[in-house]
Amino acid sequence: MWIYEKRLQYPVKITKTCPKTAQLIISQYGGPDGELSASMRYLAQRYTMPVKTVGGLLTDIGTEELGHMEIICAMVYQLTKNLTPEEAKTAGFDAYYIDHTTALWPQAAGGVPFTAKEFQSKGDAITDLTEDLAAEQKARTVYENLLRVITDPEVREPLKFLRTREIVHFQRFGEALEKTKEKLDAKNYYFFNPEFDKQFVDIVK
Amino acid sequence: MQENLAIASVPMQEWGALYGAEEALRVGTVFQDLNKPFFAAPSDGTDGCSCGCGAGKAAQERERMMAKIQETSFALDDVRLYLDTHPDDRQGLAFFKKVLAERKTLLLAYAQQFYPLTVDCIADLYEKNPASDCYCWQKGPMPWEGACV
Repeated sequence: MWIYEKRLQYPVKITKTCPKTAQLIISQYGGPDGELSASMRYLAQRYTMPVKTVGGLLTDIGTEELGHMEIICAMVYQLTKNLTPEEAKTAGFDAYYIDHTTALWPQAAGGVPFTAKEFQSKGDAITDLTEDLAAEQKARTVYENLLRVITDPEVREPLKFLRTREIVHFQRFGEALEKTKEKLDAKNYYFFNPEFDKQFVDIVK
Repeated sequence: MQENLAIASVPMQEWGALYGAEEALRVGTVFQDLNKPFFAAPSDGTDGCSCGCGAGKAAQERERMMAKIQETSFALDDVRLYLDTHPDDRQGLAFFKKVLAERKTLLLAYAQQFYPLTVDCIADLYEKNPASDCYCWQKGPMPWEGACV
């Protein structure tokens, strides 16, 4: 169950219309390393996690990612809410405008629609946590690519915040991997899959 | 942490120096050890935000209080993830208790002065004023509306 709290995790107050910037940052909504993909990845993986506290961490990070999706959507919305037909035509937002006007729709910067193919839920704790570590790094790279080319401080501040969150989440997923390893045999972490081969598992719930 | 061949290892974080709530929200973590700025985006506040728009006094006070809620709630978010992997850390737990209490006080004050942010805040309002016939949930600007609302 989720309960809505009527605020953003980080404030977004963008006063200058810029459809070009909107077209770039929308990738962190529906792109391959975006916040929608992140939240769906963690919230899907948590059910079968063999270590209970790791399932708890995936719930909390997955929930925070939903909040990040809302921050990105608020940014795209504010960058385009006063869009003129002339700006729609010339400023790099034309194809998106034709299909969605100024509504929010999850796609990558290159126009590829959001798809579950962008993430995995593999049913093996080591595999999934290693994917999660990589996912945080990929999202960090996207935020850095955005920060190199975007100059408006009102857009940069939330992007900087979101980039740091990727680093913090990487640390937490690393710690979750350590917690999982503690429950396995260090001589061979790959002798069985702790999410499936339950006859081997002596894991404290 | 045990290092082994053919598997990733990340050291467990140890409790260390924290940022104040305002700076923590600005940089993206309460933990000084985890603040690793990007060269093209230093976290020294040089970007700054010029978001002034001559809002009225009531709107300014609302924004000030919302900022407090965002700062305190963010400190809570960050320490909660820390506790998820360090459930026995006494300093982490003490900090968690402190910000949890601060957040509760701020949410109630905001609901009383402006509008409720959660459905439980509406319950608090009715508890203070059982005769209230305000639905209240649709009061206030939507969170994505941004500056000057």
